[in-house]
Amino acid sequence: MVGKMTITTATSTKSGAAAPRKKRVLGLGIESTAHTFSCAIMEKTGYDRGRILSDVRHVYRPDDGEGIHPREASRHHVEHAPGVLAQCLEESKTSVADIDLISYAAGPGLGPCLRVGAVVARSLASFHGIPIYPVNHAIGHIELGKLLTGARNPLVLLVSGGHTMLLAFLDRQWRVFGETLDITLGQLLDQFGRALGLASPCGRVIEEMAQQDRQPGVSPAGRGGNGTSDNYGNGGGDGGGNSGKDARRTARRRQQQQQQQQQQQQQQQQPPPPRYVPLPYTVKGNDVSFSGLLSAAKSAAKSDKYSACFSLQETAFAMIGEAVERALSFTGKRELMVVGGVAANKRLSAMLSDVCRRHSCRFFVVPLKYAGDCGSQICWTGLLESNVKRGAAMSDTFVTQSWRLDTVRVEY
Amino acid sequence: MKLVKKGAEADIYRGSWNGRDAILKVRKPKGYRVPQLDARIRRQRTSRESQMLSHARSLGVTTPLVYLVDTANYAIIMQDVPGSVVQGLPDDDIVGLSARMGRMVGTLHRSGIMHGDLTTSNFVYDGGRDALYMIDFGLSQSTSKPEDHAVDMRLIKEILNSAHARIMAESWKKLLQGYARAVGYERRAKIVRLVSVIEGRGRYATVV
Repeated sequence: MVGKMTITTATSTKSGAAAPRKKRVLGLGIESTAHTFSCAIMEKTGYDRGRILSDVRHVYRPDDGEGIHPREASRHHVEHAPGVLAQCLEESKTSVADIDLISYAAGPGLGPCLRVGAVVARSLASFHGIPIYPVNHAIGHIELGKLLTGARNPLVLLVSGGHTMLLAFLDRQWRVFGETLDITLGQLLDQFGRALGLASPCGRVIEEMAQQDRQPGVSPAGRGGNGTSDNYGNGGGDGGGNSGKDARRTARRRQQQQQQQQQQQQQQQQPPPPRYVPLPYTVKGNDVSFSGLLSAAKSAAKSDKYSACFSLQETAFAMIGEAVERALSFTGKRELMVVGGVAANKRLSAMLSDVCRRHSCRFFVVPLKYAGDCGSQICWTGLLESNVKRGAAMSDTFVTQSWRLDTVRVEY
Repeated sequence: MKLVKKGAEADIYRGSWNGRDAILKVRKPKGYRVPQLDARIRRQRTSRESQMLSHARSLGVTTPLVYLVDTANYAIIMQDVPGSVVQGLPDDDIVGLSARMGRMVGTLHRSGIMHGDLTTSNFVYDGGRDALYMIDFGLSQSTSKPEDHAVDMRLIKEILNSAHARIMAESWKKLLQGYARAVGYERRAKIVRLVSVIEGRGRYATVV
């Protein structure tokens, strides 16, 4: 069985020579592109009807105020892979012997992390003689989104830590109609949040801080590090011992901090709504650019964090909204589907559904639970590929850190 | 007046102005934007567009004539140019017009104007009179920076690649030929190089 697998190659088998189609196909998908290690088991019946049997994840959490450290993340994945896999099998009440194919995220992502998933997939596949499918992570977001929302022919907005792209399907390939020219929306939120000392991923906390009708007594800033003192101080830089001047400055700073804390307590009782601070708004045709916005928002956060969060969200999402409008009117699509981690943001959804109403187009958001990275997206894409391809040869099961989804030919 | 198109950022109405066919382009408020941001964007784009339409025309780039600018209502009344957008033309026609489009872009760039939204839907072709118009200057800027001009070229390249994938190679080649006729070969080479730099900056671009 193993020997047979190694002689089949992915390229030599096109749709004509598809594997004999079983009625029910069970797939295992392994995701490990960034901070999430996840396994999922799904069944496919017929050509494109699928059901998630189990989807287990373990997420690497960097220290507050820090981002993903690739080596630490991959260590996390190594440590948790067996547990996640076992739990995934148990929850779906299947054993490895029942599985018809294994797919893994082969890119794009962080090299050390990708390799963990690939190793797990290869080991299982070669030991048990199961066909293996390297899958593009970003295509996974889209395909799972289509399965779960029922969108037929959507304009896709993929917003996550790794992507900010507008895509439409044409002639066997996903084509990019707009994208970020520098950092992604997820990175914008995370990098801004980390500057405030929040734990990443920071999107949700920023969303709470930006909310105009904050609940009294809820201090979202408290959750990620001690938000009050992090803005100033910069790591307690007053250790130099430069006599009175520094001491006075320290005293003043303490006073400021106390005032701030008092202010914050007052805010908790009666929070004033965040103000809108003008920030750079950069739309270049269908493309957006966030780097200038990030710097400006960071400096705005020095005087008022809540307003900065609010303004950052409003500006960035309005840019996305406009790019979506442009792409909708250019492509004439009647559906918009939002996938990826930032799809979980309610303000973004609200803005986009407004856009869709204006263009009388149907609006789909991937369910919250499957917005972020998960094994299901990888599993489902592998299952779809199995409609037209045999598994890849073991020697072709690479990982590719930079694998743009618009280079993938979609044959199914 | 009749609503003819709900564009991405403005509504287009067709009517007449002093006996001439005219269109009214109104930038309506967007409910999803914060009011301050919304007003800023609409004001800026209305004034930019009206200025640049006229400026481009003075350079010999055919654009609609501006009849009236109403800054209070973020509206422009301009000539209704006949013809259809290049985006919807048959592939062969698009290839045939590419060199002319490139030359128009080059003419703008040479005079320090960046269009900002160079797509095939922002060129209107009138087959009867064989006239090609450039429209929609809302995102245009006065800039002579090669980097900005490269952003323009990259956008049209991206659009050719996504919406007109079948004719991408040929059309892009023609476009650059036309572009070079306006700006010169040296400048073209520089811009093309910058376009690849920008592409390389994109997410997960293949780094060679």
